Amino acid sequence: MASRLIRNRAAFPALLILAIIAFLVALGPVLAPQDPLAQNPYELLQGPSAQHWLGTDAFGRDVLSRLLAGSTVSILASLLSVEIGLILGVVPGLLSVFLPRSFEWISLRLIDALMTLPFLVFAIAMTALLGNGLIQAMFAVGILITPAFYRVSRAAALSVANTQYIEAARLMGASTAFIIRRHVVSKVLPAIAVTTASMTGACLSIVASLTFLGIGVVPPEPTWGGLLATDLTTLYERPFGPLAPGLLIVATVWALNALADVLRDINALPEEART
Amino acid sequence: MTIAAQADDPAGTPPLSAEPRVFRPNKPKSATHLRFLGSLALISIPVFLFATLITFLLGYASGLDPAAGIAGDAATPEVIARIRADFGLDRPVAIQYLDWMAGLVRGDFGVSWFNGVPVLQLILQRLPVSLSVAGAALVVGIVMGSLLGIGAAIWRGSAFDRAVTAFASLAAALPPFVVAIVLILIFSLWLNLLPAAGYIPFSEDPAGWLRIIAIPAMALSVDIIADLARQLRTGLVSALSENYVTGAVVRGLSPRRILFVHVLRNAAGPALSMLALRVPMLIGGAVVTESIFTMPGMGKMAADSALRGDVPVVQGTLVVSIVIVLACSLLINILLGVLQPATQRRD
Amino acid sequence: MTKPRLPLLLGLALTALLVLAGCGSSDDAAKARVRWAFIMPTSWDPVTSRTGADINTISLAYASLTRLNKAGEVEPALAKSWEYSEDGRQLTFELRENLKFSDGSPLDAAAVKAFLDRGKTQKDSFLKAELKGIDRISADTPTRVTLHLAEADYQLPYVLAGRVGAIASPNAARDPKKLALWPAGAGPFRMVEFIPESHAYFEKNPHYWDAADIHIERLELTTSPDPSTLVAALLSGSIDVATRIPAHKVKEARERGLTVVIAPSLNAANVSINRNKPPFDNPKVVEAFRYALDRRDFVTIVTAGLGRPTHQPFPPNYFAFDPEIEKRWTYDPKRAQALLREAGYAPGQLSLEIAANPQTGDGGAEVVQAQLARIGVKATIRVVPPGSSSWQSEVYIAKRPQIAVDGTIGRESPIQNLLAVYGPAGIMNLSGPYASAGFLDAVERVRRTPTDDPAYRARLHEAVRIGVAQSPSNYLYATPWIIAARPRVKHLNVLPSQIRWEGVRIE
Repeated sequence: MASRLIRNRAAFPALLILAIIAFLVALGPVLAPQDPLAQNPYELLQGPSAQHWLGTDAFGRDVLSRLLAGSTVSILASLLSVEIGLILGVVPGLLSVFLPRSFEWISLRLIDALMTLPFLVFAIAMTALLGNGLIQAMFAVGILITPAFYRVSRAAALSVANTQYIEAARLMGASTAFIIRRHVVSKVLPAIAVTTASMTGACLSIVASLTFLGIGVVPPEPTWGGLLATDLTTLYERPFGPLAPGLLIVATVWALNALADVLRDINALPEEART
Repeated sequence: MTIAAQADDPAGTPPLSAEPRVFRPNKPKSATHLRFLGSLALISIPVFLFATLITFLLGYASGLDPAAGIAGDAATPEVIARIRADFGLDRPVAIQYLDWMAGLVRGDFGVSWFNGVPVLQLILQRLPVSLSVAGAALVVGIVMGSLLGIGAAIWRGSAFDRAVTAFASLAAALPPFVVAIVLILIFSLWLNLLPAAGYIPFSEDPAGWLRIIAIPAMALSVDIIADLARQLRTGLVSALSENYVTGAVVRGLSPRRILFVHVLRNAAGPALSMLALRVPMLIGGAVVTESIFTMPGMGKMAADSALRGDVPVVQGTLVVSIVIVLACSLLINILLGVLQPATQRRD
Repeated sequence: MTKPRLPLLLGLALTALLVLAGCGSSDDAAKARVRWAFIMPTSWDPVTSRTGADINTISLAYASLTRLNKAGEVEPALAKSWEYSEDGRQLTFELRENLKFSDGSPLDAAAVKAFLDRGKTQKDSFLKAELKGIDRISADTPTRVTLHLAEADYQLPYVLAGRVGAIASPNAARDPKKLALWPAGAGPFRMVEFIPESHAYFEKNPHYWDAADIHIERLELTTSPDPSTLVAALLSGSIDVATRIPAHKVKEARERGLTVVIAPSLNAANVSINRNKPPFDNPKVVEAFRYALDRRDFVTIVTAGLGRPTHQPFPPNYFAFDPEIEKRWTYDPKRAQALLREAGYAPGQLSLEIAANPQTGDGGAEVVQAQLARIGVKATIRVVPPGSSSWQSEVYIAKRPQIAVDGTIGRESPIQNLLAVYGPAGIMNLSGPYASAGFLDAVERVRRTPTDDPAYRARLHEAVRIGVAQSPSNYLYATPWIIAARPRVKHLNVLPSQIRWEGVRIE
């Protein structure tokens, strides 16, 4: 799958953007020319200059450094949320196909219940009521995207579970665990890969919304959403301020969604591919 | 920002359940309808119970209480313990849950720990605001999404089609607050056409109400437009290439009739399912627009109350949202059943 | 056919929307309506109001016994005159005739007595400390009320110009919980709608004693929009007057044609320190913090140069301000670090949590954090959630933080302000109930001095000096009122102690 992905031409722009973002995340804090927290009262709200490539904010801090430092926080938070959702969703999703009916019914209704909750409101409520930190936010978002992973893995497992070779394996005495490990996982992985890509994009968007609203933000740590919020407050003095964090957010989310689309295409059967 | 909608939905499973469709031989129509509605109700109730349980546990897990606000100067541990007992917060969790549920059924959502106003009253004051914006967003989203999706399908391959697809993929990548701010910048600051804050009730001034919900509704609808356009386009394109369409054309039916009477019906299914999944997002997304526009809506109240630790208000708002979502899902399921009787034949 | 119809439909829809958008209603001019974006009060009952800023909103529904003018001098309001006895221990007010509350009951001497009694005795009253000096109140005639004081107190006429004298209807006060949510006063306006944490709508009260000077028919009070949309909200007419406008938006507001009023206020921002919590129970640490903060940075970053540094809870140019205090401590980070080392904290060893108020902070907490980092103190910021009373509950009542970025909005009487920020029951005294005996004595001395006495100012300055020295908190800078309004709002009435609406006209 990976080799097919790299050779796919439609995937190129998305992969390029993601590679740049990964680079920023990994090396951002090291590359940052200045301390993202150092305030300079004599250089407030300046435009781009040789010393400050993206200018300074309302406290005289270097915007570029803050952006780079914020990349790590924002991306890692999203990845952690997706990881939580993945583990909480895929495992029950797979098991629901192979375990007795009662487990299936309960897990289905639980997932339905999670889907009924208003996403952002519940994420805010959970984050704020449990301590209002970024960790709580990540857990909240992770739990709320569990249904997506559950449904995908369950659907994929269902399509495999009733095939003949699984039946044959059972007749030969293979245990459920073995069947899952040997046969089901490889069939489920592509679908999960697609969901992971799109969910990462969604999580990034939500984490940006939360930090924009000031939830889960611990000042003065920079986050993309938080930076965007403050940039909008100083829009008049720095009209192009919101562009940098805004573009980063939109580009990353778009790239992840595009990646998900490409993955879906290369894994789908010809007649299921998008026209 | 599409979440559950992007969770690969094999052939459009009906909302309210992660269960894929299973087909059975035909039964008499009325019995099918009744069985269908009955099974829907049977699923809704445990879902409601689970969702409210999650909501309640969230409040319980927070460990918060109204003591600090009430005790004032005399905030000794004994006083705090007494206040907690007054509010029943020292009882076992199961008892508290049952008591709370009993209150919900009676319509007693408790009292705000913050200003002593009954939660239901606070919610009812703000519900019209949120529903206005969400409803308007839904209408705009459905209308524009349908127009764009149908147009893209009819003129597939043209520049219009490519533009719609590009717009859809871009819009999906925009967080809701970005859209809201951009719209404010354009319509309020630059063109000076629409207001940027506040809320006017419809009863007070219909034209003013429309002007004030215009930008928030547009901001919330972008997601729906993008999703709906994409879904409809895909669904229509594949439906239009089906055999029965060729057959209808050969038989001389007008393209308009083919489109509206036959094809749209079948393509609408997945689109409607997707819409049902969007309703929770719509209610939640209102938080962002309400915050940016300082509208006295339910979402903003929930967010502010959560930050203040006002648990009863948060729980009340969540329950009301859950009920709205379930009601919408039920409605859409019924609509799906009407549009596509095949979906009623379920396990 | 479908092809031509789609564009037509789209076009029609858009046109309809634009037409509706264009014909927005604006009967503002006809009704002389003002939309004021400010804050919601902590309580609509003056007795349970928890913060000084509430005077601005409470004055909408309530009138006080007296009133201050722009110079800070006392004027008649509900009372048309007052007189002290020879020994200063009896203060008699003569009320105007035929005053009425918004619920119809009469505002007479009995009502004033009932209100002040309630302020002294109601369990959750926040006026107790300020009414402590009054032994008893007597309603001599329907329009004459006498306050019998334990000691002479010449500050009272000033104090009664604020919340302490904002007489509420005793009828309505029989249900204090309801009064906290719906005011019943004799002020310039009458409330007609209130949604908590959102807005309050008022209409002109024709029975207000100074109704002739009120030219506004309807006043809509709302919470302030997000700073990023504030100017847009003003320009589009969603609000007419915005009081909490960040200093750096002044330039933008002016350039976009809005009226910007910058007027003297009694506002002073500070870093409140809690000596009851470590590390501030160590006097050396307290002293280190005297030298740790560079006030000029605050003035530049937070107030965009519109403010002035101050070491005391008063702005320069106010009569209670003592220039001598400013010379006592200077910005000296090396000295601060040396003192910290003496206290046992090498650079990097001291960690603090700063409580910050998002509604009034304007970034002050982050500046404090950065400056503390320069002397080797690691500080994290804890944002106390927004809401009209959460700051009060967390910081003023529970006094949980070690250190908080706060400020005083000022009081009608300088002694009142000193007690509110340094007194044992002072809500802004984070070190409460600590207050040195010397300070309290000095305050009493000022109280007993008539305000026209030549010794008054000197005694006042002495009390301020002692107060500043005995409190671990450090005042940083004073900001003026910064108000942005649409040009249609004329003659904004901005006093140092509060905003009022007499004389304000709408075009």
